[in-house]
Amino acid sequence: MSSFREDSYLTTGLTGMHVARHPTKTLANTYAKILRTTAKMPDDAAYRKYTEALVRDRAAIVEKAGNDWKMVEKEMNSGQIEELIIQADKELSLARQMLAWKPWEPLVTKPEADQWKWPPPK
Amino acid sequence: MASNILRKLSCSLKNVGLSGPRVCQTLSVAPSALSRCLSSEAAAGAETRPTVRPHDAVAREHLVDFGRYVAECLPKFVQKVQVTGTDELEVLVAPEGIVPVLTFLKDHHNAQFASLADIAGVDVPSRLYRFEIVYNLLSLRFNSRIRVKTYTDELTPIDSVNDVYKAANWYEREIWDMFGVFFADHPDLRRILTDYGFEGHPFRKDFPLSGYVEVRYDDARKRVVVEPLELAQEFRRFELNSPWEQFPNFRDTSVIEDATPTTEKK
Amino acid sequence: MSSGKAASVVTRQVRPILSLSHDDSRRRVLALYKAWYRQIPHIVTEFDIPKNTKQCQQKLREEFLKHKDVKDIRVIDMLVIKGQMELKETVTKWKQVGHVMAYWKDSVNKKPDDFLGKFLDGKD
Repeated sequence: MSSFREDSYLTTGLTGMHVARHPTKTLANTYAKILRTTAKMPDDAAYRKYTEALVRDRAAIVEKAGNDWKMVEKEMNSGQIEELIIQADKELSLARQMLAWKPWEPLVTKPEADQWKWPPPK
Repeated sequence: MASNILRKLSCSLKNVGLSGPRVCQTLSVAPSALSRCLSSEAAAGAETRPTVRPHDAVAREHLVDFGRYVAECLPKFVQKVQVTGTDELEVLVAPEGIVPVLTFLKDHHNAQFASLADIAGVDVPSRLYRFEIVYNLLSLRFNSRIRVKTYTDELTPIDSVNDVYKAANWYEREIWDMFGVFFADHPDLRRILTDYGFEGHPFRKDFPLSGYVEVRYDDARKRVVVEPLELAQEFRRFELNSPWEQFPNFRDTSVIEDATPTTEKK
Repeated sequence: MSSGKAASVVTRQVRPILSLSHDDSRRRVLALYKAWYRQIPHIVTEFDIPKNTKQCQQKLREEFLKHKDVKDIRVIDMLVIKGQMELKETVTKWKQVGHVMAYWKDSVNKKPDDFLGKFLDGKD
């Protein structure tokens, strides 16, 4: 049994977004990559915690659905499966950049005392 | 002339304290305008706050939760999270973190603020970092908006977010032109609204309303010439009270809710 | 108190715009000057302006010497950036003749300073 989507499915209906021929497989691969990236972050990083929980949930849905991409779309309720792939790709690139930015560290600059006061002092 | 009389009349009538309908009867000059004004007053009396959008407590709670989520995920860059009195979420970030924060908001599954609606600037000369740069984002997926603010001064460059949002290209050029804030790594930073050779940045608070120069066509030289502004005496009326709203001192700022999570303040 | 505050202002860490040292910024200024200098012959031929190369070079020198007392590296950098933008606007001919001639301010009249001149001018 292959994950190949039938040729009769021609368009996603959105400009510039092409039909993915192996959507569930692609999605599962990307989710695995995200998890491999977040594994390099410290354990107590909030971003890692939330992202891993979310991606594990989604990966479980994909695994459960097998090749039934319609069910994946219905369960995730976040657009077509091609859109899900785009979202996962973005999360992957974000996670990779996060490794360089290290946003879990303490605040880099404290604001001036009156910086966020409104109305501002005269 | 007629309007002058009308204004005087209405003033005197107000002082005397005549009732509405009688004003309409005694004035045959332009009753429509007066009656319109009076009727709107009557409507205001019936409805307590007719033009104010009602608060949605649930939506506000969601915004507060999401603000905490952002602050918790990016404690290195988020200085403060607040929800304004009109239910708008604002994330106040350190200038170093503007690219990471916007990238997070764009690419994270739970945010997906894929659309940059606008970049704005605010000049508050009394602060050490006088310029606020305001990014307005829209998430089409979750039908939600968020505002990210950071700060800088005249000489501190701020990272361009052109790599994150292509829309930022012209917005940042506009900020550069109007406020003189330099954006580092911008691919094409140059003027966008002012004329070539224009000096100064018009949206700075210390830039005079009239500008410094005026431009005219010179028939003898057959070209446009730039000359320092000279105002004739009768136009040189410097009204200190601007017709526009200054910093809203009268507004109750306590409605701004600080939603910064307490755990990150270590 | 005030001296402490002044000291803290002086030692405030700032983010550089382009240059990290005075030598660096000096190099940039000279590079900009040379770039303008080399473009002047082309500018004179491209634009229909009543100035020759010599006069343009004189004006270039004047414009640079206007800021000769600027010491802050970041201010110098900002001026260099603006100068580069001006150069680009000029050589790509985004500017028109009026914009280029604006450097000379030739239509700006000198204010009369004697009594009769002031009287004839009719102002003040």
